[in-house]
Amino acid sequence: MSLTRRDLLKMGTMAGAAAAVGDAVVGTAQEPVPTPPRDAVGMLYDSTKCIGCKSCVVACADANGLQPDTRVDSLHQAPNDLNSFTKNIIKLYKPKYGEGGTFAFVKRQCMHCVDPFCVAACPFHALEKNRVTGVVSWSADKCIGCRYCQLACPYQIPKFDWDAFNAKIVKCEFCKERLAAGKEPACTYVCPPKAVIFGRRDVLLREAHRRINEHPGKYFEDRVYGEKEAGGTQVLYLAAVNFDLLGLPHLSPTEHPSNWLRWQERVMKYFLLPISIYGVMVAFLKQNFREHEAEIDEEHKKTGLIPQL
Amino acid sequence: MNGHTQSDLTVVRWQRGVPVFGVPVVTKNFIFLAAVALTGFVFVIYRQVFGLGAASGLSDGFPWGIWKTFNVMTLTALGSGSFPIGIAAWIFRKRKLHAVMRVTLLISFLVYFTGLLAIAVDVSRPWNVYNLLSVYRWNTISPMWEVLWCMPLYCLFPLFLENTPPILEQWYYFFPPGRGLVVWLVPIIRKTYPYIVALAYTLPILHQSALGALMLLTGNQVFPLWQTPLLPLLYVWAAAFIGVATTIASVLLCCLTWKRAIDQSIMDELVSLLNWLIFPWIAVRLLDIVVRGRFTMMFTSGLLSLLFWTEMLFIFVPAFYLRKAKYRDNAYTLFRNCFFIVVGGMAYRFDPTTLAYRPWRLGIIAYYTPSVIEIAISLSFICTCICLFLIAVKRLPILPAPLQQWYDSESYYRNFYPYIQMSGYGNADQHRPSYAD
Repeated sequence: MSLTRRDLLKMGTMAGAAAAVGDAVVGTAQEPVPTPPRDAVGMLYDSTKCIGCKSCVVACADANGLQPDTRVDSLHQAPNDLNSFTKNIIKLYKPKYGEGGTFAFVKRQCMHCVDPFCVAACPFHALEKNRVTGVVSWSADKCIGCRYCQLACPYQIPKFDWDAFNAKIVKCEFCKERLAAGKEPACTYVCPPKAVIFGRRDVLLREAHRRINEHPGKYFEDRVYGEKEAGGTQVLYLAAVNFDLLGLPHLSPTEHPSNWLRWQERVMKYFLLPISIYGVMVAFLKQNFREHEAEIDEEHKKTGLIPQL
Repeated sequence: MNGHTQSDLTVVRWQRGVPVFGVPVVTKNFIFLAAVALTGFVFVIYRQVFGLGAASGLSDGFPWGIWKTFNVMTLTALGSGSFPIGIAAWIFRKRKLHAVMRVTLLISFLVYFTGLLAIAVDVSRPWNVYNLLSVYRWNTISPMWEVLWCMPLYCLFPLFLENTPPILEQWYYFFPPGRGLVVWLVPIIRKTYPYIVALAYTLPILHQSALGALMLLTGNQVFPLWQTPLLPLLYVWAAAFIGVATTIASVLLCCLTWKRAIDQSIMDELVSLLNWLIFPWIAVRLLDIVVRGRFTMMFTSGLLSLLFWTEMLFIFVPAFYLRKAKYRDNAYTLFRNCFFIVVGGMAYRFDPTTLAYRPWRLGIIAYYTPSVIEIAISLSFICTCICLFLIAVKRLPILPAPLQQWYDSESYYRNFYPYIQMSGYGNADQHRPSYAD
């Protein structure tokens, strides 16, 4: 039996299909575990230390060249929430009157996830995670403005410039220019009580656990928010109140994008699966098309009408 | 055949695509639809000039509106009839279904085309779309990337080519100088057809599942009755049966409107395809909910439970009725049931993106009401689609009909174009039936 080139190609396709299917089935059995870059930078925000002075809000706008958001009273820089003018904000949680509990500030900005949702969502890597520092940043020349990052982000961080013609995605980029110049981010630099501090993520994580061990029971559930949430984040939180109340959603450690999209990743790997589906379909179609063609040509001979495919 | 009432009638067989003749294209309804369509295009200019914030009800809390969630994620399901029907016809050799291929391909093309328009209007930095061609910027695991690549490719390449034969055919009859080109093109089309058609079935499977995968990344922001790792599978599967139901409903609507004969055997074939798709889908969906431990949520989530059961019943009950020949044989009940299936299926595709999508913001759920402009543009694209469909079926041999109707149409066209000869490719004269002269 001689092997023609066509046979070889066919066998190759079959083997490819088998490999892709096998890979898809076996590979997805193991859950991927995201790991931060070795030199991942981070921030540790301790809500119990924050005095709510909003120096960081002003410093952030200043350092990033953002227009002050004075839209509320045309006088004070007092944004309601993160928006296209605001990459960083201090919010206050106040318990309802009569209910017990303590008030708490919270600083919101991009969490710089270890496995970022926005980066997984972005079709053209307009949002990218730096391989060294782990900073997630946006580049204007790749973004098509589909706003999928906004939909995907569980922390509601990327904000969109709704009124502009040349609309941008605005989010904290960890003052990457300052980092490159060897400085720390503007917000950690100005913070008077050092409620938010800058450092390597692993160092900050140790520091957070040291604080918890020093004051057992002071922090909510003796837990660092961002250590494990959705695969971990590079911005870490300590707070005395429930993180839910501060707008930090409850996310399980496995709820990260490479876990949600692991089928997608397998199926699209080297396009093996789509190509094999295509190959199989062509094989079937060619045979059936020949029969169909014969049939319509027969019809054409009988009636004289143009054969309709 | 359930022939108890039709014993005295001849059994209709659809043999050819025949244009709807003797009916003007520009009617009152057509003018109304065209007006709605044009108004929308004026609003598109407004949106481009004044920005998305001014034109839509979108906000940072709810970034996707009906252009994406309805026009693209929901309506393209209506245009997905061509791949299940095509696979059944070409691969599972259900030869009868070839009769409706032209209609379903036309619907697919128009729906996808207007869907692409909707994406183009929605995307805010369209000048960066050239990134589709820069390989090193591809993020292949992003479902959005898959949608952005697959949908235009599908619409503008295989779907477009599959829709050319009716145009070439009509060109051959009505534009004699172009005949040489047609005769030259037809063998090329025939030679490449299997490759194009296979692509036309691979691509929709990919991007319809990617549309489901879009919502996957929103994690628990989508209510657990809808959010599941199986969402891509359920989405593409739903697209398949919605597409088949849409095809049945639109063919029936055309037949009833223009009083054309209905081939019951083909309708039965389509309905059996529909049932084969729907019942396993329902089983998989319910099973998935039970396996994920969300069984009680089906009854305890208030309005969302109601929504869930509305979807399920709108899909299940009509499909259940259609098992009986009594409901299939009557064009009206068949149409009604298919219509309900389409509505239920559309609800299933729409709900996880909007109604069951609850972005979490400090205990407050962000909500969204589409603005008038958004609705006008969305409607305009739907009307564009319908207008183009009406023009196409009245000018091109698309809707299936018995052979006799072809000869009728020929003698009709002879009144206006005496030189016309509606038979094909050169040697037809000797085969002309005598009674047509």
